[in-house]
Amino acid sequence: MAGGLIHQVLRRKFQSHSAVQALSWFTSRKANDDAGSAGMRTVALIGAGVTGLLGFATVASADEAEHGLGVPNYPWPHQGILGSYDHTSIRRGHQVYQQVCASCHSMSLISYRDLVGVAYTEEETKAMAAEIEVVDGPNDEGEMFTRPGKLSDRFTQPYANEQAARFANGGAYPPDLTLITKARHNGQNYVFALLTGYHDPPAGIRGGLHYNPYFPVGAIAMPKMLIDGAVEYEDGTPATEAQMGKDVVTFLSWAAEPEMEERKLMGFKWIFLLSLALLQAGYYRRLRWSVLKSRKLVVDVVN
Amino acid sequence: MADEEPVDQKKYLEEGCKPKCVKQLRSYEACIKRIDCDESGHKHCTGQYFDYWSCVDKCVAQTLFSKLK
Repeated sequence: MAGGLIHQVLRRKFQSHSAVQALSWFTSRKANDDAGSAGMRTVALIGAGVTGLLGFATVASADEAEHGLGVPNYPWPHQGILGSYDHTSIRRGHQVYQQVCASCHSMSLISYRDLVGVAYTEEETKAMAAEIEVVDGPNDEGEMFTRPGKLSDRFTQPYANEQAARFANGGAYPPDLTLITKARHNGQNYVFALLTGYHDPPAGIRGGLHYNPYFPVGAIAMPKMLIDGAVEYEDGTPATEAQMGKDVVTFLSWAAEPEMEERKLMGFKWIFLLSLALLQAGYYRRLRWSVLKSRKLVVDVVN
Repeated sequence: MADEEPVDQKKYLEEGCKPKCVKQLRSYEACIKRIDCDESGHKHCTGQYFDYWSCVDKCVAQTLFSKLK
């Protein structure tokens, strides 16, 4: 009986749109209630719920800066049901990453071989890999040795571990970027807005770190890195801040979701085929059930 | 070819979108004036600043990518 009362109470609460209505309703209900302790418990529960809801309303508006400025949605060429990556953009983006970002940010889950056929040819990638030194071993004498990189090696890490990274960057850890566009809400748009969104702080805000409105709380340890002309693109594209931002985010999107193009093709194909299968299954089910659904029942009552 | 410094497309569009967001800009400027005389350090214009940049961002996002390669 108490359970039924609570159920009725909750249903009524969700149906009314203003807290005042709910309050006046349950006070009149309480006057008619003679269930004793069960009624009091319900009253207490509703009271707690309403104050909690009202409490939320005031807190949410006070911490705009804590959530960061809302990010606009850009029309990425690779978005949409059948959108595919702009591979020249991935190539340029990798160049930006290497020259601007790799000094602080690792991308430890990508190997050089992942770039083959996506942004560079095999020879180009082999040459790129050979430029780095990799620690390998132990050899037959039990010692570790260094050798030039191969396709199977992962991208080099700028710091040996997180503590070294924090120490070199004033306590802040430059996160690994391999999955960053999936690891942040609305990641692609967020990273682009962040990189190209360094503005002067609003009046009244001061702080030790750099100001970026899109970063939660606004104080970010990374300075503005994308400056016009910072990189000289191989294909001659003018390297403006926005262009570099778009290219590097395309590269990061690919790094986080290299399977995207194959996934979209598979998805399109299988959703189409399964829809046809659904139509066929629906027809066959109705065909078989038609016998039962067109039965006629005769009630023959003998008085 | 005469290669001058390429202009950043986003900055250029942000300048062009300023007239569309004049209301928010004036509101922000009014806030700055209001807190000018405050020395407590607790007053700030983040709200109006966010409103202004939200408006500019929405306007820029419509055409920015068509200007990029």
